[in-house]
This record gives sequence, structure tokens and C-alpha cells, in this order.
Amino acid sequence: MKAIFIAFDQAYYEDLVTDLQSLGCRGFTAWTEVKGRGSHTGDPHYGTHAWPSLASAMFTMVEDDHVDTVLNHLHQLDVETPKLGMRAFVMPIEKSI
Amino acid sequence: MSLYSSSVKRPVTVILIFVAVIIIGLFSLQKLPIDLYPDIDTNTIMVMTTYQGASAQDIEQNVTRPLENVLNSVEHLKHITSKSRENISVVTLEFEYGYDIDALTNNVRDKLDMVSSMLPDDSQTPIIFKFSSDMIPIVMLSAQAEESMPGLYKILDEQIANPLARVDGVGSVSISGAPKREIHVYLDPIRMEAYNLSVETIASLIGAENRNIPGGTFDIGSETYALRVQGEFKDPKEMANIVVGVSNGGIVHLSDVATIDDSLEERAQQSYTNGNKGAMIIVQKQSGANSVEISNKIKEIMPSLQKNLPSDIQLDYIVDTSDNIHNTINSLVETVLYALLFVVIVVFVFLGRWRATVIITLTIPISLIASFIYLYATGNSLNIVSLSSLSIAIGMVVDDAIVVLENVTSHIERGSAPMQAAVHGTNEVAISVIASTLTLIAVFFPLTLVTGMTGVLFRQLGWMVTIMMIISTGAALSITPMLCSRMLRLRKKEDESAAFKKFYAPIERALDALDNGYAWLLDMCVTHRWKTSLIALGIFVGSMFLMKFVGSEFFPTSDNSRLGITLELPIGTRTEIAESLARQVNDSWQKKFPEIKVLNYTVGQASSDNTFASLQDNGSHIISMNLRLTDPGERERGIVEIAELMREDLKHYPEFKKTLVNVGGSRGSSMSGQSSINYEIYGYDFAETDSAAQRLKRILEGIDGCADINISRSDYQPEYQVDFDREKLSLYGLNLSTAATALRNRINGSTASYYREDGDEYDIKVMYDKQHRQSIEDIENILLYNAAGQGVRLKEVGTVVERFNPPTIERKDRERVITVSTVVNGRPMSEIITEAQPLIDKMDKAPGITVGISGSYESQQDSFSDLATLAVLIIILVYIVMAAQFESYTYPGIIMTSIMFAFSGIVLILLITGTTLNIMSMIGAIMLIGIVVKNGIVLIDYITLNRERGMSIRRAVVDGGHSRLRPVVMTTLTTILGMVPMALGSGEGSEMWRPMGTAVIGGLTFSTILTLLFVPTMYTIFAFNGIRRKRKKMHKALAKKNNANK
Repeated sequence: MKAIFIAFDQAYYEDLVTDLQSLGCRGFTAWTEVKGRGSHTGDPHYGTHAWPSLASAMFTMVEDDHVDTVLNHLHQLDVETPKLGMRAFVMPIEKSI
Repeated sequence: MSLYSSSVKRPVTVILIFVAVIIIGLFSLQKLPIDLYPDIDTNTIMVMTTYQGASAQDIEQNVTRPLENVLNSVEHLKHITSKSRENISVVTLEFEYGYDIDALTNNVRDKLDMVSSMLPDDSQTPIIFKFSSDMIPIVMLSAQAEESMPGLYKILDEQIANPLARVDGVGSVSISGAPKREIHVYLDPIRMEAYNLSVETIASLIGAENRNIPGGTFDIGSETYALRVQGEFKDPKEMANIVVGVSNGGIVHLSDVATIDDSLEERAQQSYTNGNKGAMIIVQKQSGANSVEISNKIKEIMPSLQKNLPSDIQLDYIVDTSDNIHNTINSLVETVLYALLFVVIVVFVFLGRWRATVIITLTIPISLIASFIYLYATGNSLNIVSLSSLSIAIGMVVDDAIVVLENVTSHIERGSAPMQAAVHGTNEVAISVIASTLTLIAVFFPLTLVTGMTGVLFRQLGWMVTIMMIISTGAALSITPMLCSRMLRLRKKEDESAAFKKFYAPIERALDALDNGYAWLLDMCVTHRWKTSLIALGIFVGSMFLMKFVGSEFFPTSDNSRLGITLELPIGTRTEIAESLARQVNDSWQKKFPEIKVLNYTVGQASSDNTFASLQDNGSHIISMNLRLTDPGERERGIVEIAELMREDLKHYPEFKKTLVNVGGSRGSSMSGQSSINYEIYGYDFAETDSAAQRLKRILEGIDGCADINISRSDYQPEYQVDFDREKLSLYGLNLSTAATALRNRINGSTASYYREDGDEYDIKVMYDKQHRQSIEDIENILLYNAAGQGVRLKEVGTVVERFNPPTIERKDRERVITVSTVVNGRPMSEIITEAQPLIDKMDKAPGITVGISGSYESQQDSFSDLATLAVLIIILVYIVMAAQFESYTYPGIIMTSIMFAFSGIVLILLITGTTLNIMSMIGAIMLIGIVVKNGIVLIDYITLNRERGMSIRRAVVDGGHSRLRPVVMTTLTTILGMVPMALGSGEGSEMWRPMGTAVIGGLTFSTILTLLFVPTMYTIFAFNGIRRKRKKMHKALAKKNNANK
């Protein structure tokens, strides 16, 4: 089991939930309105007057063999719409209940 | 969940809600009555008091003054005017607008109760009379007749007046110009003397003979019968056989001393239409009824009425107020449709996408149609004000939708799916959309609080625009994102068809060139920011100096194809002479002015039962004309030009003492017709004020632009009076009132009885034959009988003398006044006032005589000061809204500089087009306060955004300008082009709103150009100062720190 942390533009949210479902990842935890900016490029998502857009963030727990499919799909989305911005980070899960 | 996200998720609900709104709106539209103006509350109350036998001066002293003193304390009173003439005092109370007339009437009644004990014993109780616009006739018909002329009154009364009076909403129908049937018994005084008979005896005999008397009931056997004597005449000829006396053993019949004439009233108004004699039928409405509806119903039944009439009677319209209403409303509807078309074109050119254009233009019908619900719910009508509000709003209701759509599009272009783009895109701009609507509401809502005459017009405008703006914002935040989420697609260049590319490519290139050119120019301005500021301020100050070349007036004159003309011959001229002159004028004008459609004129004294005619000036020497011209679109010459030519023409008739040519039907009515200036001369002495009035008249005659100068005080009326010698009267056993009554019975006639036929009653009048009442000798030879039956000639107990009766005494605000009024013709009112004032100040006048100005000028001054106060209030409100939006004191200040340029623009365009500053252009200026700041808000908002994103001041300004130019130009163009049909309109009534359209276009264009350069420049100056201050502060803090460390 791996945990994938995905930070992305709000606009992706609904598509992402359906896409993950079709990729076999049912479970997730999401925060629909979060703030942040990328380390190198991309517009900040602050929800302010200057930077009005907001981001969402999501944790999804994926079986090890699924991780690449999911990451590939996410990467593909990011390439299609580079201006929106999406990043995903995979972390190991040590224990769970 | 927010409005827009739920709208995007529930498209069916949103669509159906708006469909419901449109259906209810269209339903309301169908039910809305049509009228020219919004309902105008009355503000005038008249108090009429009769005091039989008192002269004008007695009436003034004993009736008018006590009444004025008491009524003057009624609250909300604006002016108190009065007319005291023989037998009657009329006090007119004019109140401030906006108060409940019923409550005011009660106050007046209370005050009258207080004063009643102070009035002379013989005076009648004062009657309160509320004047309202309902008294203005809505339809005037003419009936031309030949053979049927003698019976015309009865025919018209039965066949026309009665059916018309039954039409819903018709208040009263009066007939003038058709004399009523009257049966005259013309007595020969010489024969009467021979038979020792008096007029009174004969009159009472006729009355005694012409009676039906019930004799009670009596029983015969088992039945009860009624008994009666049927003595009433069945034919007027029967009267000839009445026995009036016995002389020398023979019986004297009435036919021996009198001729019986079954004919028409002797003195009646005569009415002529296009030179043919006939009658005039005047229809007045009930208060609150709808003129157009009534006139339509009358039009409907006219053919059937005509069919029932004898073939020689021809009915025709002289005046139909609904014609003017219809034409005006139709031309306004046309204006609204053109405005719609222009706005759609602008949106399409700027966006270049038909889907986007459809989404945006949809907000127009939604907001416009929804406003009809408001009109219907509040019982208003479709009128000039409500329709021009639509025209004003068209260009503004799309603004919010444009902002929303633009942001959604940019989200889609960044890669969002339309659904998400619609929600998030709308979310980002919702606050600024609401804020910009608030600035407009800050302008239009205070209009609903205006009182007075102008308030009547602008209250509805304020409400309409406020409601439309709120609805358009609601639509922009609900149906616009919903439609964006369904209809907008990510557009790729290669998707476009070749034809579209070919069509749109040059537009795109031009817009790009405009963007770049502007960015370059803005860069220049920001570099030379002090120079730019000075030039811009110079332009503003310079234009304010031009202000004095712009004339001002109250309301623009509108062309409603109606002229009312009053011609006065020397007082006392016989009706026959007036009639022949009127015919001459009629014949020559019919040839000279082919524009005349109907020319109706009335001569003679009106009978007292004709309500409409008796309210107007009438008399044997007065000719009043009503003209209807062809529709303004069909003729070359405007109504003002025609009126001027008529005035010139009337100068060729030396017989006329006074001529008045009134554009629009009546003088001084506040909203149509030419403006008038009334100079009021206050002073007690008749001779002194008369001579001052004459001098003032001569001054005005010498001033260009004054026409139809009129002095209100009429000439002294010559009359014969009989001075009885009381001692001699008593010697013969007579008293004054018996003698005077006898005189009246012989000359005016006494109504002996009534002749009944077919349910109608006709007067039987007994009087001297015409040939025996034509000279002073005839009067002197009248025989007066005392109680013993002895006769004495009038000349033995009295003398007939010629005297002059003092004219009507007019007072205003409890002082005697004469009004010298002039029509303003072909020149702004303000110029005439400034030219005349020094001459009037220099004018020779007796001490105690003062001259004041009223009329349109007074209303103008009142309204202008009201509007100026309003403008200040609006500026403060707009500042508050903007300060709240930017959370700053400086930015709103910077943005508001664009208002200065709007005013400069208005001054310039008024000068260039030769338009005057009037109420309508003032209101245009006030609207501009809200419209022009919107441009500044868009610019400053984006520039601050750029700075928050970390750009340098200069880059933020130039880049902000570059990217916001298109939205600014686009929203400005929609507003300007929405106004173009108003400014250029040539339909009926267009004179009214043309100044407003012109002012908005000029002000907005000029201000937008200067705002685009000046506001960013000012921003740069303030921003650099801000940074400098911050640096200084920092340096100081650093220095302090360093010192402390040392």
C-alpha cells in the first residue's frame, strides 16, 4: 500500500474522483479548498484578489501495483492542461488499521 | 452552496425560473396601460367663494384677504394665488409635491371652518375644488352639420354624448357650439303698455297655465279613480291662445302682445371646424382612468355612432391625446429595439463568438421583461419614463454578464472543464460584479427620493433602473454561468470556418492594433505624468469656462402636433365680428399652412353648464382655436417654426388686442410646450402696476427670443349701470330690488316655465323683443309697476350711465400681482433672463413695486438645485461604495476624477450640438456619475492586482491598461450605442430625451478617453509617493536602529 498525495487546481476535483474510481481506487480523503504554490513554476493558488484561484488536495491509498497507472494518468492530465497545475507525491504506509 | 454553483448543478431549475419570470413579465406587459407620463399627483386646491353683487375690490377686501390670511398657514403650501372678480373669489393653493392631497384638503377645510365667521353674511360657504390633470380633455370631437343644425344639440346629446358617457372611465361629456332649444316669448312693450300688462304678470300666467295638477282620488261604486288636470302645453304654439287679460270688454290673448319663437338660445358659443359650423364634443376622463383605453373604446364605437346620425352630420377628431401617446410610445419602442441591436453587434464584434454573444444578450430580455412585473405590481404604466429607462439600461445590464463570461472563458482556456470553469470563474468575479452594480444603484436609487415635479419623472426611472440592475446581476451570477457551463467550448483556431476567419480577422487585427497603440500612449503618459496631469486638468478647467456659453432651459419643447391659439379683440366686441375675423384667419391659414389637419375655432360666451368651456377664458370678444397638425414625421416644418410663422401672421391683424399661440395646446404646462418666463409685478396701486407692466412689456419686446408677450390683467370692462334714486323709488312705492329684477326680466328674460317634450325640458323665456332692447332709450323707457299696478318709466326713477368695471384682481402670496409672461422662442431661456435683468433693474418704477420671476424659470431653478443636491449625495454614496470595495481612501478619489471629464464632455457636446442644459441633460449628467466610474474601477482593480502579483508600478499600470482596454471600450460602447437611438431619434416626443442621450454620449466618450490616460497616470503619481513615504519611514527606522546600536 502506498499513499498518494495529490495537490491540484480546484477545477480537476470532480473529474479526478471519477477517474480514480475507474482506475480502481475507491478510497480517498480530500480537502476541496486549500492554498499553495508550486516550487518552481505555476500560478499561486491563494484565493485572494491577486491570485483568486484555489487548489484542492487529496490523499488516496493505492495498492503498490496500481501506483504507476494512477501516476501515469495524473501526469497525462497535467500535460494536457499545464496551466491548471497538478502534482502528486507517493509515500509509503507503514501501518494501518 | 453559492448561487452560481447551485445554478450550474441545477440547470433545469434555473431555466424554468427564468422562463417563469419571462412569462409573468410578458403577462404584465400585456396588462400594462399605456400613458404619456407616470401618474402625477395633483398639488393644487381651489377655494371658490361667491358673494353676489360685490365688486372685484369688495371681494378682494372682504372675502379673498381673510381667506388668504387663514389659508396661508396650511402646511406644505408653496404659493397662494387668488383672483377676485365681480361676485366671485377664487383662491388657488399650490402645495409642494409629494404630499397626500386628501390630507391637505382636510387641513384646508379645517381652516375654512375657522374663517367662515369672518366672511360677509351674504357670501356663500367656500367650495373646495381639487384641480387635477383629469380635467384636461382627452378627446375632442367635431360634429359638422347643415340641415340638422337647429336640432343638433338634442341629436348629439342623445346619440353621441350619452353613449360616450357610458364608456368605462369617461368622466363627463360636454357639448359646446350647439345651442340648446329654447322657447322665447318676445313681448312688445308698446302693446303691453296699451293693455296695462307687465312682463312679470305674463311670466306668472304662462307658469300657471303650463301645469299638470293631480286632483286626488275618488270612488265610483266599487272602483277608485285618480283625478288629474293635464294642462301642460303639448305644442309651444298653444301658448298663443293663453288669455293674459281683458281690455275694453275684449279678451287679450298672448299672441296679441307677443310673438312665440320656438328656436335656440340667443347667446351661445359657436364652434367651427375647418370653416364649417358645427359642434364640439369634449370628453374628460374619470380620475385614474386610462386615456388610451378610453380613446380606443371611443374609436371602436365611432363608426356605429356615425351610422345612427342623420346623413348631414359628420363626426371628426379635433384632438385625440392618445394619438400622441401612441406615436411617442411607438417611437420609444423603436429606440429600445435599435439599442438592443447595437448592443448585440458590439458584443459580437468584441467577443467574436456567437455562443458568447447569445449568452450575454439573453440577460437583456430577462432584465427588461422582469421590470414589467414591477410596473404592473405597482400599478404603473408604460410611459415615456419607464420606456426610456429600458433604453438607458440596455447598455448596462450586459456589463455584469460580460465580466462573468470573460473570466469563465479564461478559465476554460487554461484547461478547466466548462462546468468547473463556470463555477470557479464566477466565484472569482462575483464580489466585483456586485460592487460595480452597487455603484450604479448608488446613483439610481437616490433618484427615487427626489421630490417635486422632477421627482414624478425620476422616481420611476430610479426604480426601473435599480430593479433592472439587480436582476441583471442576479442573472449574471446564475443563468450566465449555467449557460457558460453548457454552451462554451475550448475553441481551437483550426475549428473556425474559413468564412468566419475572413470576416473576423480584420476586426481582430484592428482590436490588437488598438491595444498596442493604447499601451504605447499610456507608457508615454506615465513617463510624463506631471505634464499629463496638467494637460488633463487644463482641459477640465478650460471646459468649465465654456460652461457660460451653454444656455439653460427647463424642459425641451416637444412636438405633439397641437397648437392652442387665443385671439382677443377689444373687450365687448360682438360675437359676429369675432366670428368673421376668425373665418378670415381660418381661410388664410388653411392656404398658408398645408400642415393643418384640423382647425377648430370657438367664438362667443360659453353657457354656464359647459364645464370645460367655463373653466377657460371666454367671452364674446375671445376666439379660441384648437389646431391639429399632421404627424411630425410627415412634415418639413417643426411645430415651433409653424407657431412662429403664425405669430408673425397675426401681427397683420390690427384688430386683435392680444394673441397667444401656444405650442402643445396650453401655455406653461410644465412638460410639453414652449417654456415661458413669467415676470410678476407686485404692487397695490392699479395705475402704477399697470404702467410698470407696460414698460416691462416694451423691454421684453426689444429682446430677441421673446414671443407672445402677455399681460395678465385684462382691460377695464365698459358697462352700463342704472343708478336708481331711492327717494323717487319710494315715492312710487318701489324698492331697489323690485326695480332691478324688473330690469333683468325685460332684458335677460325670465324663465316662466318649462316646456316638456319626449322627456326633455326646455326653458320658456319671457323677455322684450330684440328690437326693443337695442338702445339706451329702450332701457330708459322700461315701465316699472308697483304693487298698486301703477307704471313708472325707469328714467323717472333712475339714470343709465356708462362706467368701467375694474378688472379681475389677481394676487399671489397675499399681494396684488400682474404677470407679464413671454414664450421663449429660439433662444435658451437663461440668455433672455440675463439680457432682460439689467434692463428691468434699471426700469422706472414707483416705490413699493417689486418684480419677480416665476413660470418655467422658477421650476427650472427649483429642479436644478434639487438635482445639484442629488448629485452631491450620489457622489458621496459612490465614493463610499468604492472605498469599501478597495478598502482605501485614495483609489476612489483617483477614480472619481473621471467624473470631472464627464462634465467637461457634457459641456463640450452641448456646445457643439447647440443643445441647452435642461432637466433631461442634467439627469444624463447624474447618470454618468455611476457609469464613468465603472471604467476607472476596472482599470484600478486590475492595476492593483498586477501590483499584488509583484509587478513594478509602471509595468502594472501599462500591462493593466493593455489588458483591460477591451472590456472598458466594450462596456462603454454598449452604453453609448444603447443611447445613440435616443440621441438621434426623430419620432414624436423624441425632443424630450434627445438632450439626455446627447449628454450621456458626449460625457461618456470624452470621459472614457481621458480616464484611460489620466486615471492610470494619477495612480502612478500616488503609488510612487506611497513608496517614497514608505522608504522614508524605513530609512528613519533604520537610522533609529543604527543610533540605538551605537
